[in-house]
Amino acid sequence: MHERLNNRLREERARLNLTQADLATLVGVSRKTINTVENGVFIPSTVLALRLARALGTSVESLFQLPE
Amino acid sequence: MPAMQSKTPVEIADRVSRRRAGGVAAATAVFLLVQVVAHPFFVGAPDTAHRAKLDMWAINAGVLLLLLATGGGLLLNRQVRVLVNDEVSRSHYRTAVGVGYWVAMVTAMGLYVLSGFKSVTGREAVYLIVTSSVAVALLAFSYLEYRAHRSA
Repeated sequence: MHERLNNRLREERARLNLTQADLATLVGVSRKTINTVENGVFIPSTVLALRLARALGTSVESLFQLPE
Repeated sequence: MPAMQSKTPVEIADRVSRRRAGGVAAATAVFLLVQVVAHPFFVGAPDTAHRAKLDMWAINAGVLLLLLATGGGLLLNRQVRVLVNDEVSRSHYRTAVGVGYWVAMVTAMGLYVLSGFKSVTGREAVYLIVTSSVAVALLAFSYLEYRAHRSA
């Protein structure tokens, strides 16, 4: 699977003054996962996307967008 | 004596995962080096020492397969183990197993062609297929994990 998915994870994380490790703890994943999602290396599952959105107090649609 | 710094499960998992990426690559390199040095199948008469080399290869390959199947860390506490083998690592595992599968297929087809020119025993075929596919799968897993950590 090589689809691209834009994301605003880094911006949303910075807005809440969270480190990657903080967000990883909130979501229950490793820091590596947060890092790879932020960098677009890894496309998260629906469940992980929902958990990320919930942890950051935003919606999945505002966190992840398909490229134009 | 300095006070022990308490690390969070995420920090422990991060450290374990980084070490695993390096450890898997090192274990695979040693495995391949031993094959090059010992030549368990293609050099020497089938004596007791030869048999021991074959058994050692089978044990090594079995351990590496177990490492690939479980992701290691069986002695870690459950929370850390879940973090170490989370969604990204499971994805890397699936990719690595897929790569190993195709290496096994290509090796098997190569042996099929080779058997038209040279006698190849069943054991030799198993040895070559398992060695190549397990080693490539583990190296692929190690590379993917290393790459995921590198940009952190």
